[in-house]
Amino acid sequence: MKGGTIWTIAAKDLRESTATGQVLAPVAIVPFVFVVLYPVGLLLALRSMSPADAHDLVSKIPTSAFPGTGELTVQGQAAYISTVYLFAGFFLIIPTMVAVVLAANSFAGEKERHTLEGVLYTPVTDTALVVGKIVGAALPAVVISWVCFGVYTTLVNILGNPLVGHWYFPTLNWWVLMVLLVPAVSVFVTACVVWVSARVSSYQSANSIAGFAVLPLILLVVGQATGVMLLGPGFFAVLGLVLVVVDVVMMRWIITTFDRERVVASFL
Amino acid sequence: MMKEATTFPSDRTPAVEAAAAGQESSRFAIEVAGLARSFGETTVLDGVDLRLESGGVFGLLGPNGAGKTTTVRILTGVLRADRASCLRVLGHDLPDEIASVRPHIGVQTDTALYDRLTGLDNLTFFGRLYGMSSADATRAAHALLDRFGLGDRQAHRVGTYSKGMKQKALIARALIADPELVFLDEPTAGLDPEAAHELMMYIHDLSIEQGRTFFITSHRLEEMESICTKVGVLSRGRIAAQGAPAEVARMLVPDVRIRITVAPPTVLDQSAVLALEGVRTVTPVESGAMVELTTRQAVPAVVRAIAAMPGDLLGIAEEPPTLEEAYLRLVHTQERVHTQEGAAVGGAR
Repeated sequence: MKGGTIWTIAAKDLRESTATGQVLAPVAIVPFVFVVLYPVGLLLALRSMSPADAHDLVSKIPTSAFPGTGELTVQGQAAYISTVYLFAGFFLIIPTMVAVVLAANSFAGEKERHTLEGVLYTPVTDTALVVGKIVGAALPAVVISWVCFGVYTTLVNILGNPLVGHWYFPTLNWWVLMVLLVPAVSVFVTACVVWVSARVSSYQSANSIAGFAVLPLILLVVGQATGVMLLGPGFFAVLGLVLVVVDVVMMRWIITTFDRERVVASFL
Repeated sequence: MMKEATTFPSDRTPAVEAAAAGQESSRFAIEVAGLARSFGETTVLDGVDLRLESGGVFGLLGPNGAGKTTTVRILTGVLRADRASCLRVLGHDLPDEIASVRPHIGVQTDTALYDRLTGLDNLTFFGRLYGMSSADATRAAHALLDRFGLGDRQAHRVGTYSKGMKQKALIARALIADPELVFLDEPTAGLDPEAAHELMMYIHDLSIEQGRTFFITSHRLEEMESICTKVGVLSRGRIAAQGAPAEVARMLVPDVRIRITVAPPTVLDQSAVLALEGVRTVTPVESGAMVELTTRQAVPAVVRAIAAMPGDLLGIAEEPPTLEEAYLRLVHTQERVHTQEGAAVGGAR
């Protein structure tokens, strides 16, 4: 019953979100820029670049720090480092951005549109409501990230393999990133936004607070993603598992502190 | 109304006692005593007492800001009371047992539907939240949308509905899970007179035929008078009067009013009637006059005096006060008292 209710809430949120361009536009545009424009632009530029220009570019990067690049040409090194390490951070920005937009729309947006109060009168439990809202935003964030990963993998292999000289993508780090870290980050961000949304009265406020409080935190993690990847997939996996534990603790805390009166009082 | 169980004292085992107590308790859909709630410095409810038997239509009346919606929100468990010596809905104490109450109540307040979803999807979604299977929720949603005249628009997004259509869909949503107790907050707001009348008749039928209990707040006093088995007037944080609409009207308008029919109507000497002892006002009407008396004891003498006047006395009938008159009198009286109190406090300063 509870699983069914959670899915009912999540499915309703998904249908609502996909029915409006206001929500769909940022969800479509940002991944397109990160997953298609940047890598395609860079890889095409590297293919047309002279070895001397490529050497100038790579000389600023400590290539010895990046495993798997020793035997490659300078173009190959640039392609490998950027696609395997530098662009990895984008795949934490994408689920973060999607989760923020969808979670703010589903919870604060519902408060703003006065639709949430109707749900609060029903027998739906606080757990089902909170988890349903988190699933409704985190699940599309994960699915969109995975679709982006599929597109990125295809583009990298088509445009990057000739530069690197062999099939190199995705590496083990990337599997850990996509299977463990992307879902964990999506749930973390969604939970943060749901927590904020329960305390503000409008979609804009939730978005703004999420933008000021959640995004810098995530960007900090993104900034360190390349460095953490260098420590190997094992360490990366441990980090992901720690984040999963944080997610579980955070969700329990949000459910425990969820107060219907606070939600109703915010629009009295 | 449920029947009382007949038991003999010597037969009462703990189980029988518990069953009898449960039955006694379940006679009442709502029991409230000393309910109080403030928002900051503003006291909205200040000792509300209410007892509502199962199976009737209860109307909560009161001016804007009187606390009607707050009362509904407390009874449906989304707001807490600051204090209450008794707060019980469908036999369960609130707020501790609200989870046992929610599956059996339907609520329509000033909330909205999901504009981006269809009418059918909206109702089905809420049915699913009540634990109905997808098939049952869809079936119930179809039936209700048809019943409210929205069958041909059920596949359209609610955002395209008119205000009246949205209101009907909100009421349909409150009924989706076949609730035992239904809270409707201003249900006829936004409906045209015909639709409002139809809704009132539907509520009446559901209450009579299916024993469902309705708790309605409204400003449309004529409608409330026609369908409510009991009304309560909420004023200055308390229930100023409660009972059957006619009882409440008499309680709040104690004056006696009689309609005098004479032939020809023009012969009635109104100034002579007004001069009679116990007569407060005389208002000419088409068939004669409406006479308002200060006490019931004055009726025989006044009737004898009028009978002795020129013209043929064709009829004398007591004209009971309407709920609307009673309500307006209460509100105006309280406003006057409030103003006087304010002036007295101002003068004392």
